[in-house]
Amino acid sequence: MISSFLADPAFLEDIIRILFVFVLITAAFTLSTRNIASLLTVYAVQSLLLVLIAEFLYLIEGNKTLLAIAVLTLVSKVMLIPLFINLIGEKIKISRDLKFNYLEPTASLLVSMGLILLAYVFLSGFFNEYVLGKLFFMGAVIGLSLTLMGMLVIFSRRKVITKAIGYLTMENGVLLFGIFVADLPFIIEILIVIDLMILVLLTTILAIGLDSTIEEYHQHLQTLKIWSGRDN
Amino acid sequence: MIILNYLAVGAVAFALILLSKSHRAMNVFFILHTLAFLAIGFYALLTITAPGFETGSEYFYVDHLSLYEVLIAALLFFLASVYANGYVESLMQAQELHRNNLKIFYMVFSLLLTTVTLAFFSDNLALFWIFAELTTVFSAALVAILSARENIDAAIKYIFIASGAMLFSFIGLIFLYTLSGEVLGSGTLNWTLLLENAALLSPKMLTASFVFLFIGFAAKSGIFPFHTWLPDAHSKAPSAVSAILSGVLLNIGVYGILRMYSIVRQTQAEDMISQFLLGFGLLTVAVAVLNMLLQKNLKMLIAFSSVEHMGILLLGIGIGTPLALFWTLFYILAHSLTKAALFFSAGILHRQYESNLIQDVKDVFSLQPIAGWGFVIGSFAIVGMPPFPIFSAKFFILLEAFGFSKSLVFAVLLLLVIASAAFARFLIEAFTRSSKEAGTEGLETPPLPYVVRSGMKFPIISIIFMILVLGVFFPESLKNLLNEIVYELGYL
Repeated sequence: MISSFLADPAFLEDIIRILFVFVLITAAFTLSTRNIASLLTVYAVQSLLLVLIAEFLYLIEGNKTLLAIAVLTLVSKVMLIPLFINLIGEKIKISRDLKFNYLEPTASLLVSMGLILLAYVFLSGFFNEYVLGKLFFMGAVIGLSLTLMGMLVIFSRRKVITKAIGYLTMENGVLLFGIFVADLPFIIEILIVIDLMILVLLTTILAIGLDSTIEEYHQHLQTLKIWSGRDN
Repeated sequence: MIILNYLAVGAVAFALILLSKSHRAMNVFFILHTLAFLAIGFYALLTITAPGFETGSEYFYVDHLSLYEVLIAALLFFLASVYANGYVESLMQAQELHRNNLKIFYMVFSLLLTTVTLAFFSDNLALFWIFAELTTVFSAALVAILSARENIDAAIKYIFIASGAMLFSFIGLIFLYTLSGEVLGSGTLNWTLLLENAALLSPKMLTASFVFLFIGFAAKSGIFPFHTWLPDAHSKAPSAVSAILSGVLLNIGVYGILRMYSIVRQTQAEDMISQFLLGFGLLTVAVAVLNMLLQKNLKMLIAFSSVEHMGILLLGIGIGTPLALFWTLFYILAHSLTKAALFFSAGILHRQYESNLIQDVKDVFSLQPIAGWGFVIGSFAIVGMPPFPIFSAKFFILLEAFGFSKSLVFAVLLLLVIASAAFARFLIEAFTRSSKEAGTEGLETPPLPYVVRSGMKFPIISIIFMILVLGVFFPESLKNLLNEIVYELGYL
């Protein structure tokens, strides 16, 4: 029963379209949620949606790279990265990111609607000379929109850890865009994941630095300043 | 073979730094690392007859442009490594750099040199993208290493803006990949292949791809409106690192733009992209000089000046004639050297006054004659006074621009006057102040001179010597090298 559904491309395409909607919902959550634990869950769910999309697309297209991307995304973005950020979050004891820069959630939701329309208009201007299937065009639009919404998160949220989630969202957007626009060589995806890991690692180290020990260290430095720079 | 040599030397240097115990040993190994890179580069330059692929694959490519950039990078890293010996010791004594972080500092510095080198040699644009990202990560770590809050803030801002923008570049790469797939059957991101088949690519899609790629590369090189991270990161970083950030890392973005432009240049998209670059170049210069004019912070002034010069480089690329490219390439060298001299001098002044602010600078010439004169001469050189090399580079770029648009030249000239005024104002205000003039609080005790440690003066003096020589004498070998590059990029 299920297998007959899974063999039907029209059904799969519909499912993917529904998943697109879910992806946008997660992006909207990222823009507005204040609680960091839920933000992380939302990110994990969003990555899982990408896994499912790649999975269903594989069923339609049969391109093995998609399967590899799905596995890689599952391991890195659904499991490892959220786990890692969660550990860091516990360590620096930040559980909420309350304040917003420039844009309050409602305003940023309105802006992101604008961004989605912009992405659509922009891409339809460029892809009209290409034979890109309807579903694939939609995927590209959603991917670009997700990237832009991630950027909005970086701009409008204050805490480094939330900004990092914004960056990760952007990265998800690029991945989605890549899945639908081109058959990228698999090696590139691996490189991106490595890059991502390093970035996450670095920003979290810096985020810890911002928290406690450094302040004490810095005060220590202030008191000793009279000695600085002189050779005796 | 060249790439393998670089990788081997990089790995050995990294391991030696990792194993060494004293600061002296780490510094010596790092200096040797930079010297080895310089030597390999010169050897390759002398032996290379035609550009070719490396390591048996199409991932790495050695041509004159990449060698030129790599040599500039290695030279600056060498100067910075010599400077770092005394400078880092001072930082540790002032407790600004924690002794535990010393090894990390040298390890990351060494990694940065290796990744920068690999980035310049990458033929595959996706590989270039990865290495460029890694340089952001490593250099941000070097900005944050002082672990003061403002440093960490600056590093985080740097990472988010540069890497976020680089994600847009990745979208540009996806565009490019699809685009090349349409024409060549299977997609490619190999620059050589793209250049060969540039004429076949659809101009419209190529424009879209260029614009996306430009966002990331512009952020890497501090082009308006993605420059906002630059003044913070460059001014908060330790001066040895600032010199590298300004003199080497900004070149990576410009290098990316130049490589892409040489592809675009073969198509009908050239006109539009050229205007696009000129527009952003002009805006960048304008924003930078306006920020320089009333600048009260020494290192901020130098940092904004970097933004200004990146704008001019963009103009040079956008003009798109062979002669403009020739002088743009020369400009890259001149700017890197001069900017390093300024940051090295500023580093000594910062040790002296423990501040970068204009009001804290007093008795410069009696306290720090070398750094003082280094800064004065560097300022003259950076604003493009003759006989310094930036003068001739600017002159010929603007001359080429004249054929393009007169009003553009006038606008740029006006902005350059403002930039010079900014430096003049700073010099007059800061460098003429003496502690003997009683302030409002009465007579102050004159500060003790900071004893400049060994090795910190050498880079400043040698750079000033180099730019003076380059200003009055244009070596034939350099001319041939630049001509080769212009030819290889398909301009002639």
